[in-house]
Amino acid sequence: MPPGPRATAGEPQADPGSGAAPLAVELRGITKRFPGVVANRDIELRVRRGEVHAVVGENGAGKSTLMKTLYGEHRPDEGQIMLDGREVTFRSPADAIAAGIGMVHQHFMLADNLTVLENVVLGSEPTRGGRLDHAEGRRRIAELSDRYALGLRSDVLVEDLGVGDRQRVEIAKVLYRDARTLILDEPTAVLVPQEVDELFGNLAELKREGLTVIFISHKLDEVRKVADSITVIRRGTTVGTADPRTTSTRQLAEMMVGAQLPSPQTRTSTVRPTPVVELRGVTVTDADGRALVDAVDLTVHEGEVVGIAGVEGNGQAELVDAVMGLRPTTSGAVLLGGEDVTAWSTRARREAGVGFIPEDRHRQGMLLDAPLWENRILGHQTRPPAVKGPFIDRRGARADTARIMRDYDVRAPGPDTLAVALSGGNQQKLIVGREMSARPRLLLAAHPTRGVDVGAQGSIWRLLEDARAEGMGILLVSADLDELIGLSDTLHVMLRGRLVATLDPATVTPEELGGYMTGARTTAGAA
Amino acid sequence: MRVLRRLGPTVLAPVLAVVVAVVISALVMAALRVDPLRVFAVMVDFGDTPTQQMTAVVVVLNRAVPLFLAGLAVAVAFRMGLFNIGVEGQYRLATVMAAAVGAAVALPGPLHVLLIVVVAMAVAAIWAGIVAVLKVTRGVSEVISSIMLNFIALGIASFLLTGPFRGSPEGASIISTAEIPRSGWMPGLNGVFGLLGLADPPRQLYGFLLVAIVVGVGIAVLLGRTRFGFDLRATGLSPSAAQASGVDSRGMVVKTMLLSGAVAGLIGMPDLLGATHAYTTDFTSGLGFLGIAVALLGRNSPVGIALAALLFAFLDRALVPLQIAQYPASVITIIQGTIVLAVVVSNEVARRIALRSAERGGAAPAVAAATGDGSTGPGQTADGAAVGTGAGVGRTAGAGQQTTTDARQETGA
Repeated sequence: MPPGPRATAGEPQADPGSGAAPLAVELRGITKRFPGVVANRDIELRVRRGEVHAVVGENGAGKSTLMKTLYGEHRPDEGQIMLDGREVTFRSPADAIAAGIGMVHQHFMLADNLTVLENVVLGSEPTRGGRLDHAEGRRRIAELSDRYALGLRSDVLVEDLGVGDRQRVEIAKVLYRDARTLILDEPTAVLVPQEVDELFGNLAELKREGLTVIFISHKLDEVRKVADSITVIRRGTTVGTADPRTTSTRQLAEMMVGAQLPSPQTRTSTVRPTPVVELRGVTVTDADGRALVDAVDLTVHEGEVVGIAGVEGNGQAELVDAVMGLRPTTSGAVLLGGEDVTAWSTRARREAGVGFIPEDRHRQGMLLDAPLWENRILGHQTRPPAVKGPFIDRRGARADTARIMRDYDVRAPGPDTLAVALSGGNQQKLIVGREMSARPRLLLAAHPTRGVDVGAQGSIWRLLEDARAEGMGILLVSADLDELIGLSDTLHVMLRGRLVATLDPATVTPEELGGYMTGARTTAGAA
Repeated sequence: MRVLRRLGPTVLAPVLAVVVAVVISALVMAALRVDPLRVFAVMVDFGDTPTQQMTAVVVVLNRAVPLFLAGLAVAVAFRMGLFNIGVEGQYRLATVMAAAVGAAVALPGPLHVLLIVVVAMAVAAIWAGIVAVLKVTRGVSEVISSIMLNFIALGIASFLLTGPFRGSPEGASIISTAEIPRSGWMPGLNGVFGLLGLADPPRQLYGFLLVAIVVGVGIAVLLGRTRFGFDLRATGLSPSAAQASGVDSRGMVVKTMLLSGAVAGLIGMPDLLGATHAYTTDFTSGLGFLGIAVALLGRNSPVGIALAALLFAFLDRALVPLQIAQYPASVITIIQGTIVLAVVVSNEVARRIALRSAERGGAAPAVAAATGDGSTGPGQTADGAAVGTGAGVGRTAGAGQQTTTDARQETGA
């Protein structure tokens, strides 16, 4: 693979068609309509060869639509796609891949029960005599791994890999297909700070080899750190480009949302002495008897937000399940308002005043193929206004759904809309509104703002703050360190099932927190 | 308009499936050098005299009643995401037991009938309950266990029929249980023909039709309007979300299978109470499997199942006239088979169309709002429109599979 023509980073916008260094990717006047709505309008994107180009915008601003256009998943209604100065037309992602474009999806598309090798070659396997040529595959993966410092081990099962490694497998998959331009869709959403740094190191390697990276994100600090140039998208169209070295995060944010960026801040303490929930030595084990949650002691008081920080997969999800009654505890007790509820069903706990914002709203929070009013009932099947005795109160549920939509700014045509038609942010606002409407004593909020846009994030934060001020106890599990630090009154760090540190959110920095999360720091004091 | 949009895909898919099935069957017939048009003519020919025509109608209705119940039994489980393939075994075993109990006792009329029906429902429910217990305690797939239990049920039924419950004399060509006394018969509904001023056919219209209608309405209310039904449907739509909402998934499996089985127990009742009055070696078989097709075609809704049952019954009726007219009766089987295949395909197509139109429905009004009060704030409403699209696009590309993959990935991570 000869290195492609490179433009020096930081050079002012190359003129289209100037000839000297054709742009790796150029989108001209891309417009994509869906019935009744224009998803992309007159999008202009110019990406030079060998640069990391960030495309930033709120969720729903049209980034994904644009990238799908570039990746051949659909065709634009107007406009041109130019690669290396030549116009191309993609009928399918296969065309885009053939043209050297690769996509690393936000949600990994990996088969857990296959090895790294098998995942990477899947779909374009090297064969010898009709059988998978392991030696050839291994050789090529080793070559890729060395060249781009990916650190891949061909024969490890993907299910044994951490998130960062999985992402590198995804990148290797794309590189294996000889991609010259990589689209990374929200690659840092699932990573902790240290892993983000590693990813950025990998991106630097790709750049050095002359590859082009299009980096989709709405995390502006990261974008400024890694990108050579930035294109901002708002409401389906490009609002401008920015140089990351001369543009501040705040300026970028203003371009992106056209308004002030909200920040989570709860400074005056509203913690009351009465505990809402107490965990005493709660232990959850898996089928093999391994402790996923290991003797966790935890108390949430009225008016207190207790944050749980941790790299995903360190037992937070299991802890939440244990408190919700979705997973049996091996030992220990869960006390709700002083009452032992360890043996209670999920429904009994919900009726006793536990609200739940699940981390994966599609899996645990919504019935996607059901209308919004039925989703209003979900989790509240035994309480008004959704039910009357053994019967569903359709009218009441519809009316209350309309109220939630109004009060919580859920943007949807009406209570009869199917939940699947809503954007992630609006789905989340519906869930938050639904859980808040039952006035729970304890709210379990797992990643409450994951995958929602800045506007929705701000309003969800405000709702949590207001609820806290009214005396609700909130157990907050999050991967967003700013969110944890900003909202929590008490902050615990969870590592391998244990609470390893309790920190003061008023003084801790995201970097320190990240250190505790990965075990690099301990409470003993080693920095 | 909204009603049309909501009903559109629901009605479209089955109609499309039937049309496709008819076309395919016609092609098959043509390939076999049978004139499809004349076959169809025989199928729709209900006879010349009013009495003949009404007889044909009664035959169709009488066949539709058990098919409807079979469809309901399958659909109840389907709505929760359970495949009760065991309806066949459940109703056969239930019917032979009910026939034996019915023949063994003598009670006043309504009580006698009630007893027979209750026994049938109980036996079938218990049989289906085995499937549920295996699933919740041992994690056995209900598909496997219910299919296997079919064989056991059929074996037990023929053992009981030829052994302990045998009521027919030695050497009779058809073995049967002892006949249920008259008090355990269900009177026909032929009175209504007189009331409606129609010809009274010689054949009895099953009184069980009324029971089936009541059961159908009951199931519709139960599924659509009650908390129990909501829990059941929620579990069918997303087991994980239902569980997080407080639904006891194991309990729901047991309850749903018991309910499905209880309805399955009714399948043999129209024939047993209205016509044969005994379980025989040639008692109607295969209704449990046809029920799966009927439930599919009726898209698991009671009204749809009723229509699907009528269609299948109509096709069934044509068996005899076709044979009389020297046409192969397998034409009916071909049509029924292609309907099932076509329905599976068209259901999926309709699901995607519905999903797409739902997304458009979600996006379009947001645009209207944007244009309506675009002056209020800097881009807030327009953002809403764009948000709607983001979701729409995401879904169109991958349809259902996308969601499941995502969910899997997230659990795996």
